[in-house]
Amino acid sequence: MKKSPWVFHVNTGACNNCDIEIVDLLTPRCDVERLGVKLVGSPRHADALLVTGIGTRQAMPRLLEVYRQTPKPCVVFLIGACACGTGIFKDAYHGAGPIDNVLKQEDPNAIIAYVPGCPPKPEAMISGVVKALSTL
Amino acid sequence: MEQDMNEQELKNKLSQIEDKLTGSEQPLKNRIYLSCESENAYEVNKFLFEQVPLRFVIATGIDSDSCFEILYHYAYDPLSYVVTLKAFIRDRENPSIQSIAPFLPAAEWIEREIHDTLGIDIKNHPNLRRLVLADDWPEGVYPLRKEERK
Repeated sequence: MKKSPWVFHVNTGACNNCDIEIVDLLTPRCDVERLGVKLVGSPRHADALLVTGIGTRQAMPRLLEVYRQTPKPCVVFLIGACACGTGIFKDAYHGAGPIDNVLKQEDPNAIIAYVPGCPPKPEAMISGVVKALSTL
Repeated sequence: MEQDMNEQELKNKLSQIEDKLTGSEQPLKNRIYLSCESENAYEVNKFLFEQVPLRFVIATGIDSDSCFEILYHYAYDPLSYVVTLKAFIRDRENPSIQSIAPFLPAAEWIEREIHDTLGIDIKNHPNLRRLVLADDWPEGVYPLRKEERK
């Protein structure tokens, strides 16, 4: 886990703002691929999940399926206020979250890192990844 | 290509459907509200879209305690006017309204969403499947109705 974390991006009902910031990580200004962080197309290739959105009723079973298919150990990064704790969508009729509670029910040993913000800056996400990986 | 109308011509055109309306107001210079009962909504919408003609923007469904309202928003771009038709659905037990999708396919999805969230039966809709709610959402529970939110 110390070398090059490959990440898989899961949108569980985000407004797309956090997702755009994640894509921003890969553009030349931040270019996290120089640090070995690579966006991959399948959770089976990933060391970490970047989860955005509140975790809607429709998306939550899919998120858990993606989590089950990710090789362990893996870090789940909750990106943005919604993923960290449903944010402004608290008590929304279509929410099944907060995501961290549901993940802990699925796997009590899940490694979860929080990057709050609406949306978080790319710098905050890099900082979150560095902090999470250096504590493991 | 039809000639663009000026403000007076647009108002004259709208007044041709007056007998189907229950009210009309213009709180701002470029904002017109028309109201009608749900039985006449199909006809008025068809007139606004095909005869005036206006551009359909979106529809809104509202639960306003005593009745349901569907607001059909139209734009007249040459004058930057927004014309909103409010259709009142008085029957709260079995709310229903005629679909406008047969002549206005762009309204198909918003009518499906209104059907999902408010439980208004959209009659004669070409494809009234679930659109926005989860696959496991129970039948007969309409999240945007006021009694659901208490």
